[in-house]
Amino acid sequence: MIWKTAWKNVWRNRIRSLVVIASVTVGIFAGIFAVAFMNGMIAQRFDAAIDEEISHIQITGKDYVLNNDPQIMMSREDNIIPSIGSLSGISGIVQRTLVTGMAGTASKNAGVQIVGIAPEKEKEIFTLHKTIIPGTGDYFERESKFDLALIGQDLAKELNIIRFVIDSAVLIKLENQKVPAEILTKLSVISGKRFPNEKKFTSVVTSLLSKSELREYGQLIKKEAWSFRENSRMTLTFLDMDNNQVSSVFRIAGVYDIKNAMFEQVQVFVRNDVLCRLAGIDENSFHQLVIRINDLNQTVAITDEIRSGWPGLDVRNWKELQPDLAMMTDYVHQIYGLFMGIILAALAFGIINTMLMVVLERTRELGMLTAIGMNKRRVFSMIMLESVFLSLIGGVVGMIFGWLSVLLSAKNGINFAQYAEGMEAFGYSAHIFPEITFSFFILITILIIITGIASSVYPALKALRLDPAEAIRTE
Amino acid sequence: MSNYKIAWRNLWRNKRRTLITVASVFFAIFFALIMRSLQLGTYDHMFRNAIESYTGYLQIQHEDFWDNKIVDNTFSYTPELDQAIMSLENVTGTVPRFESFALASSGALTKGVLVMGVDPEKESLLSDIRGKLVKYKLNDNNIEALKNSEIPQETKKNLEIFRGNSYSSNSSLAIDFNIPDKDSSSILEIFRKYASFRNGYIKSGEPGVLIGDKLALYLKAGIGDTIVLLGQGYHGTTAAGKYRINGIVKLPAPDLDNKIVYLPYDVCQELYDAPGMLTSLAISIRENGDKKINSMIPEIRSKLDPQLKVMGWQEMNKLMINQMDADSKSGMIMIFILYLVIAFGVFGTVLMMTAERRREFGVLVAIGMQKSKLATVVTLEMILMGILGIASGIIAALPVIFYGYSHPIRFHGEMAKMYEDYGMEAIMPFLLPDMYILWQAIVVAIIVLIALVYPLRKITKMQVVDSLKA
Repeated sequence: MIWKTAWKNVWRNRIRSLVVIASVTVGIFAGIFAVAFMNGMIAQRFDAAIDEEISHIQITGKDYVLNNDPQIMMSREDNIIPSIGSLSGISGIVQRTLVTGMAGTASKNAGVQIVGIAPEKEKEIFTLHKTIIPGTGDYFERESKFDLALIGQDLAKELNIIRFVIDSAVLIKLENQKVPAEILTKLSVISGKRFPNEKKFTSVVTSLLSKSELREYGQLIKKEAWSFRENSRMTLTFLDMDNNQVSSVFRIAGVYDIKNAMFEQVQVFVRNDVLCRLAGIDENSFHQLVIRINDLNQTVAITDEIRSGWPGLDVRNWKELQPDLAMMTDYVHQIYGLFMGIILAALAFGIINTMLMVVLERTRELGMLTAIGMNKRRVFSMIMLESVFLSLIGGVVGMIFGWLSVLLSAKNGINFAQYAEGMEAFGYSAHIFPEITFSFFILITILIIITGIASSVYPALKALRLDPAEAIRTE
Repeated sequence: MSNYKIAWRNLWRNKRRTLITVASVFFAIFFALIMRSLQLGTYDHMFRNAIESYTGYLQIQHEDFWDNKIVDNTFSYTPELDQAIMSLENVTGTVPRFESFALASSGALTKGVLVMGVDPEKESLLSDIRGKLVKYKLNDNNIEALKNSEIPQETKKNLEIFRGNSYSSNSSLAIDFNIPDKDSSSILEIFRKYASFRNGYIKSGEPGVLIGDKLALYLKAGIGDTIVLLGQGYHGTTAAGKYRINGIVKLPAPDLDNKIVYLPYDVCQELYDAPGMLTSLAISIRENGDKKINSMIPEIRSKLDPQLKVMGWQEMNKLMINQMDADSKSGMIMIFILYLVIAFGVFGTVLMMTAERRREFGVLVAIGMQKSKLATVVTLEMILMGILGIASGIIAALPVIFYGYSHPIRFHGEMAKMYEDYGMEAIMPFLLPDMYILWQAIVVAIIVLIALVYPLRKITKMQVVDSLKA
């Protein structure tokens, strides 16, 4: 009965109730979308880190990481790979050889980490082979009489292997994509000129075009002008196992793009047998084992199992390899909760105001109800329920809109190309696909009900303090 | 009676409602100001760090150097150039630099490093290398000694977290270990006794280097050890040299700390076979506002060879500005959502007020009050309410901001370690009041003005007879 009365009370002053409901709707909708956005960004970072960069667990010889000593190796003869690989919960295991060195082209040098891999086995663990930029080559698929190296997009730019060119073919492509003729005329000034690097190209294009033209077409122009020198070569220089300096020429097998500048700048992949041959490493030896597991929640259990089984090795899981990732996944829900809490606190002001208005407006009616014997608990719960209904209606509508907006935007993602450089430097993609879990909706529902109850306490107490005799007489 | 007085009295007729509406505006303003101040303050701090420890506010470079940092893109450093720059107003000094990349080896260990040729004395105009020399080191022996010393239990607990860390100043040590100011002299005395680190410096013309603390850790090299630098010299020559490690520095940015090698620039020119050449000449200035810097750029350029160029700090820290910009936008969205919700609250209040006073409005007009005067009074009421909210919000936020500016939020212990691993300093300063305060006020003013449309429409369209019956 009380429920029904409270529900009917909500609709007595329709416009007023609708304003409160609308404010809750907008607040919850905006909050859900913002959280889904952050959540999507973090989930993408997480997936990229696990699938492309570090996987779940890495094993190295005792103190290899601490001492950076290339002599600390593991050996196939110890049967480590099959015995760890047969543990339950492990879906893949692969060995790697690591060498620190320098990559250089005719004009530039950069410090790199050279990783010797078995390309076919790697595909079981990492998805790096899916990130090769079309037109730059492939993931060690083709036969070549040269030694091949796979490098990141940022390193390729750094070493001037990727260049920027505006020529007639590029201008035609831009024209086909409906770039206005006046921009094309401006660009034709630099037609045929080659830019060895991105910064130079960007600064010249910036000087040619206006700000609004850049905002609209800048990314497109950069994308089309991007050019890769086929059959590019680079020299890798490093120390072999006997501390002799080795320099060897590699052809670029392909260029990968994983939206993480830190990784792209330093990680160079070559075939394991090639690296072993050049560095004088016995092919039965390796520096690192990378493991992928089936269930993320088993991470710590499996890490402990390997640690106790092979105490002579250093075992580190993704939480230890990237503490920032672990921190983010651990604390992120508190942050979302806090974020929604702030929005709901702001909403509470509007709800309190409305409920106070309700009580003042119905002074006489409330006095009458008390006078004819409605007890205080029922009066209190009637007002509280009205407040909860108000916030819950808005909340549910907001959640539906929020969910729809996430569904729609997740289809093609939201691309913040102008921030790509800054975000990728931290390992975040600027093309974000919002996503949200069902449990978050439950959390929000609970928070909304709490807000509704909390906002009704003050107005309801006011109603209880009414003196029936006096209240009846008010107009 | 003046319109103001009527409006003011009307506000207090329904005290509670006014106060709650004012409180909602107060909440939004207060929260937005604190958040914005913290966010902008952190950026400001990071920019200052980058500028003061690396790029400086202004640099002269060969026109191709920034895009292509190779030793061939250098320029010759002549006394005439130096004098031309020094004669400019606002310039306090020139800081020559020779910057390049090399492989550094110590024993069997090798790492790619950033070689910074600096003038050991002049460099202090820009980045205080001497102040970044490691003072305390928490190696295993020192930690054992400290554990047996008379420092408080609290401080001992933190020793494990920071095992292996180095500190270049008393204050950074005090932050990590959460040492209160009043005890700092006695506790630091103990640290000085058991964990002091003897450090040296570099001198022009002498082949000695300073290396980053993390780099030293990587190379397992200490003071007195020798490192070998191997790189590409001027016009394709091979650059190779042997240097004694004179000292170890601790830079706040970990990605610099693990690859920096400082050496005197004349020694560096010799290493790269480029005598008399520089990669950049940083300029230290007195007044460092953006406007001043932008006006100096063309002035300096006019004094230079056409193949040289001048870069301001914004241009040199583009990536960082891009990151901050993205982060700042996300903060602004949060504040936008907050204001959106508050706007609805304000609108709700206005709606109720209008409905409640329909009859009153009718009576006032019926007894001869002009509608325009009534509209003015209602407008004044709303504006007063907005001003109350804005003013109280700002007044409450200011002390917090000023306090946060002089006592930045610091993370201690475990949290500090996490921040440092992240590559950030464990400190969050506030930014002093600036344009951002004005923006909050403008946004609230706009909200109030939009909400006003409803009662004003009601008043102008009011049919007196109907209203009287309400």
